[in-house]
Amino acid sequence: MEIDKNKNEDKISILLEDLDSLKSYIEDLFSFLPLPTCFISPIGVILEANPAFEKISGYKIDEIIGKPIEDIFAKEKTKEIFKEAEEKGSVSAREISVFTKEKKEIPVSLSIIARKSKEGEISGYFIGLFDLTNIKTYQKNLEEKTKDLQDSRSALINILEDVEGAWKSAEEEKNKTLAIITNFADGLLVFDKERKLSLINPQAEDFFDVKSRDIIGRSILELSTFPTIEPIVRLVGGEIKGVFRKEVQIREDLVLEVSTIPIMREEEKLGTLIILHDVSREKMIERMKTEFVSLAAHQLRTPLSAIKWTLRMLLDGDLGEITKEQKDFIEKTYQNNERMISLINDLLDITRIEEGRYLYNPVLADIESICQFVINSYKEELERKKIRIEFKKPGKKLPQVRIDVEKIKLVIQNLLDNAIKYTSPGGQIIISLKQTKKEIEFSIKDNGVGIPKDQQERVFSKFFRCANAIRMATEGSGLGLFITKNIVEAHGGKIWFESEENIGTTFYFTIPLEKEFEDFLKEF
Amino acid sequence: MNQEPTKDYNPPTTSSQASLGSLAKKLMEIKGEIRGIDLKSDADFVIKERGKEGLNKVEEELKEVGYPVEYEKLETMGFYPGGLKALSLLAIKKALNLNDEKIKEMGSYAIKASFIIKIFIRYFSPISKFFFKESPKIWNKYWTAGEFIPVELDEKKKYAIVRVKNLNLHPIYCLYLEGYFSTFAHLVIGAEEINIEETKCVFRGDQYHEYLIKWK
Repeated sequence: MEIDKNKNEDKISILLEDLDSLKSYIEDLFSFLPLPTCFISPIGVILEANPAFEKISGYKIDEIIGKPIEDIFAKEKTKEIFKEAEEKGSVSAREISVFTKEKKEIPVSLSIIARKSKEGEISGYFIGLFDLTNIKTYQKNLEEKTKDLQDSRSALINILEDVEGAWKSAEEEKNKTLAIITNFADGLLVFDKERKLSLINPQAEDFFDVKSRDIIGRSILELSTFPTIEPIVRLVGGEIKGVFRKEVQIREDLVLEVSTIPIMREEEKLGTLIILHDVSREKMIERMKTEFVSLAAHQLRTPLSAIKWTLRMLLDGDLGEITKEQKDFIEKTYQNNERMISLINDLLDITRIEEGRYLYNPVLADIESICQFVINSYKEELERKKIRIEFKKPGKKLPQVRIDVEKIKLVIQNLLDNAIKYTSPGGQIIISLKQTKKEIEFSIKDNGVGIPKDQQERVFSKFFRCANAIRMATEGSGLGLFITKNIVEAHGGKIWFESEENIGTTFYFTIPLEKEFEDFLKEF
Repeated sequence: MNQEPTKDYNPPTTSSQASLGSLAKKLMEIKGEIRGIDLKSDADFVIKERGKEGLNKVEEELKEVGYPVEYEKLETMGFYPGGLKALSLLAIKKALNLNDEKIKEMGSYAIKASFIIKIFIRYFSPISKFFFKESPKIWNKYWTAGEFIPVELDEKKKYAIVRVKNLNLHPIYCLYLEGYFSTFAHLVIGAEEINIEETKCVFRGDQYHEYLIKWK
């Protein structure tokens, strides 16, 4: 019996050791398991948890044990999962949140298995968790990135739509522009940056009698080989210089007014546009008008001359004695006839100017003496009107200039005549001459009525007379300054004025020195 | 102390600490043995509360009273003199200067850390069956002495009465059992608020220890 007792004790000892080892094994396994695991009683109380569960929940083991499961997981969702586990025996990978001791919410995937007793009653639940924080973060990042990508895509689509819209608008604009260009009454030539022709409209094709396919892409210099285009190339040059409303005769019956416009985008020059305006009809009308005026003037001058001499003879008593009253009447008639002759002469001058027949005879002459001559010729009138005149000559003698003496005399006469006419008695006129580097500048200053600001632009126009001038002197054709300007410009000079109403006016004109004058002539 | 279970356990006869020493001797003479797991849970609690240093103090205390114990070397499933449990509690209380609440807390902690309890988890439901049929078995898993008697369970009125008979260890163990039964009830019933009271105690002249457990 003693032996049996000892044997039993040994067996018990072995069993206890095995139990101890088993316990250690289970504990090690449980502790080692990296997934948070816990055991829940049938009434939902946590009875066991491993270190991984401690870590995720933030509770110590003795704080976890005894805790209702709802303290750790969301109540409603937990109930739902437990119910399903009760029915099915197990539930896998359900997403739920763990509420930690620090009140943080950690997303986890929960798997649960119901443990049943021999009688089939649920004796508890094993729960295993998988921390989804990293996955969620990754998912969130992925979603954000996806959203960013979607946003970028939407933005890109919007841009593409905008671009497409802009492209359509541009296309429409282009079509409109092309329609305008094609149907434009003026001829248009567009040159690119390299001065190659990139566009010619049908009107320009007609002007030059060319087809666009033959000339598109050619440089401006190459285009000079086309006889009809050559005059244009000669005008604008190889570099396509800026010109404004320059007339060019292309054919006998075709005169074009040429203007060039640079095509700019901000500071960059993209090319040049040449606008060709057909002025043939205007030129023809102008010519016909001039011819008519010329013819009429010539026809009128002959009888006026006859009248003039007849009246002269009457006034001189060659045709017998006349009474004083008769003489006064005839004198007035004579003066009016003179004015008529003067007007006719002016008209003839104009027709000559317009026909390009206003030929003059340039000779080297001393402009100072011409000025003096004209001043002297107005001496009596100046005295009669009690207008003081001063002639300011330069300190040293001026060089001779090549001029048509008669025409320049006419210029100075016109300017002095106007100054006297529109300066009140007691006024003053100052004539000055000075030499600059390239020209001689003439000026005539008065303290007369001046030219109203709003009428200054039209001063050099044909038949124009200022309103205040008409009030002061009913005589005057309005042709003097037009002729004056044409004479000065025909000499290569310039004419301009400064004026202020009721203060006075100063007219200036320049005559280039001989070398400059020769250069000027070379242009023709 | 030799860490072998009871069969080889020979307590020393001398003590360097007269009062606890003489008490220890008496305690060690009490019949009945207790599982090593219960003693080890004391050590775990001390480590949790005061760390390894705290445990060293306790072991020093036990050494001084003549019953040196190295808790780590105790076998979880081995049996040791029942009086050692009371001695362990007294040494811990003294070495760490713990109050009664902490002793109850130790009882509570023991149940949470108990491997044996986990073995019985499958019998927790239904409560009445567990209370009357299974719970006495748990006592026997820990002790070779004493008797756990489930007296009354009223789930509607939410109370239970249990008795411990034939184990007159030390009043400190009465406190310990309060914590133990309280947490045990919490685990089984799931109630948040548990009140426990030792209504009868052999150290107060009763025949047995009786505990009234109420919950809400």
